[in-house]
Amino acid sequence: MVADRQSGKSGNGAEPKASAKSATMTNRKMFATMLWGAVFRRRSRAIMAVIAVLVGAATLFCLAAVCIAVPQQMNEEMRAYGANLIVTPRESGSKSNGIDSADARNVTALVSGEYGAKTAAYRYESVRINSAPYTLAGITTADVKALNRHWNVTGDWPSAGNVMLGRDVADALGVRIGLRITIGYRASDNGGASSASGALGKTESEVKQDGRVSSSIMETSGTEFRVAGIVDTGGNEDEIVYAVNADVAKLAGSKRGADVIEYSVNAVGSDLDAIVKSLNANPNTGVKAQTVTKITSSDTRIIAMLQTLFWIVSLVVLVLTLVGVGTTISSIVSQRRNEIGLRKALGASAHAIGTEFYVESAIYGLVGGLIGTALGYLLARVLCQTVFDRAIGFNWPLGLASLVLSVLLAVLASVPPVRRATRIDPAVVLREE
Amino acid sequence: MLLELDHICKIYGELHAVDDLNLTVPQGQWLAIVGSSGSGKTTLMNMIGCMDTPSKGSVKLEGRKLEDLNAKQLADVRKNMIGLVFQKFYLVPHLTAVENVMVAQYYHSVVDERQALEALERVGLKDRAHHLPSQLSGGEQQRVCIARALINCPKIILADEPTGNLDEKNEKIVLDLFRQLHEQGTTIIVVTHDALVASCAEREIMLNHGVLVGEKWNDEEARKAYEAAGGKPAFTGSVAEGAQHGETAIDFADPTKSAKTGGSEK
Repeated sequence: MVADRQSGKSGNGAEPKASAKSATMTNRKMFATMLWGAVFRRRSRAIMAVIAVLVGAATLFCLAAVCIAVPQQMNEEMRAYGANLIVTPRESGSKSNGIDSADARNVTALVSGEYGAKTAAYRYESVRINSAPYTLAGITTADVKALNRHWNVTGDWPSAGNVMLGRDVADALGVRIGLRITIGYRASDNGGASSASGALGKTESEVKQDGRVSSSIMETSGTEFRVAGIVDTGGNEDEIVYAVNADVAKLAGSKRGADVIEYSVNAVGSDLDAIVKSLNANPNTGVKAQTVTKITSSDTRIIAMLQTLFWIVSLVVLVLTLVGVGTTISSIVSQRRNEIGLRKALGASAHAIGTEFYVESAIYGLVGGLIGTALGYLLARVLCQTVFDRAIGFNWPLGLASLVLSVLLAVLASVPPVRRATRIDPAVVLREE
Repeated sequence: MLLELDHICKIYGELHAVDDLNLTVPQGQWLAIVGSSGSGKTTLMNMIGCMDTPSKGSVKLEGRKLEDLNAKQLADVRKNMIGLVFQKFYLVPHLTAVENVMVAQYYHSVVDERQALEALERVGLKDRAHHLPSQLSGGEQQRVCIARALINCPKIILADEPTGNLDEKNEKIVLDLFRQLHEQGTTIIVVTHDALVASCAEREIMLNHGVLVGEKWNDEEARKAYEAAGGKPAFTGSVAEGAQHGETAIDFADPTKSAKTGGSEK
């Protein structure tokens, strides 16, 4: 019946030279049929193998994605808790007109160029409230608010005609939100000529009394502002009165640049130092830059600690997951020892058996890896959305690595049981049933 | 001689599963190896089928010493020369009947579905070709196993208790298939403790605790042809009581035979 096939001696799926192309295709088809049968007719085992790989891939991708995203997210979050870099005019002194707007734009572009940064400018003036000296800061409310989310503000932030008092100032004045205070500006307090500005819009000459500039320390004239809010930080901010830049300019009778510009740069450690160095080395900026040591060192330490913690936890979980996946696949293959023994008894070489089982395992790895990576990404996305309120994008190199690792793991896990079974005489394997 | 066993032993610790057996089997002979459970029949068959290696002695197939062959060469001998029929069938559970037959073709040379279907038709299972083993009865699974064994036209069919799990009807079908193969010149070695199955063979040897204790011929013409070709009775070097030494075969009465055949000889 099949005597014509006796000439074909290649065996284990290889084709005799004499066989036609169609025969080659038939053997390949048989290989595919055996794989199909193993995967789809033994669904429960296939599903178990896929689930094992899936769990591994999902864990791998999710943990790695979070490990990569968390330090970045943490850094960005921490940037909302104060500046880590400040610039001041290079020529400091009482006559300073602050950092002019062109310099400010230039410096901001340099600072935020590579890393991105939040910025807030402050113009400081000395003022009198109930004859007592205080510092008034002119700010752009939105900028300062974005940079200092840790400030505990009761009431509202400053707006036109409304000021925000530091807690110490409010306590000293005995005022509360909604009350009105009068703020007086004296040029002499700010190192200028003997000039003073009282009411908004009035010039220096208008506040002269009998040809003299008022210099009485009991002078209480000035511009009335409503207390919109009180800020309580526990720091220097508690001793400052905050008003919008336009009000400060009116009060002082002139516009000028900021005395300090604070930056919250998305960089830590040496990157931040490099920015500072480059600003100070650049003669065109007209500013002097320095890091806020308290913030930068704690940022670096916290992020490094978090990163280390995440990697350690991730590695432990990953190793456990890999052991789990490996054991499951290995166990599934071990359950087929008899089948391996049978194939060997039928004349299959160890190589041919290995190829079949490794390709089958690779299919489990590929399917499990694909689904697991997708699930891992969804998990990481939900995690970051929940914790950081920000979505993370799909990391393609990580996705590819997850897929390759899944396939490799599935194949490697099946190597020991297949090798064990193919090394033993088939009779011994078959006898074990 | 197609098969020559030269003082082969299989020893597990203190136990001699097969003890110093000498046996020659010419092309086309139907040999039954009988004995009670644990007598070493299956161990002997596994060594003949290159599925196990003897602890001592030599197995020759067509003059080639199996102990000189490496794993790949042994696999080649299995796929080219031997067809295996197991008591427990050992079909791949996730492949259909015809696919199980084609697996043997796949490892041998090339897959040919038409020939696989012909083999199934020969064992009366063409209409069950696309059923999974779990959808077949024991007798049908054994017939698939036989179709798989004969698909590559092996020189020797080794059958280990081929009817052990079958009812009488299926036993008869299987024995008829063996008769056809024998008539076509295929060498058949059947391991059995079933008297009826053993009596179908031309020659029987009996093992007891791994020792050859008897030999008899059920076909006198076959015996003469064997002796004319230089064949000698099997013998053992074992010193165990009742062992068959020398040139003279010791006849034996199969203890299972009377139970199966009601005391009547073949």
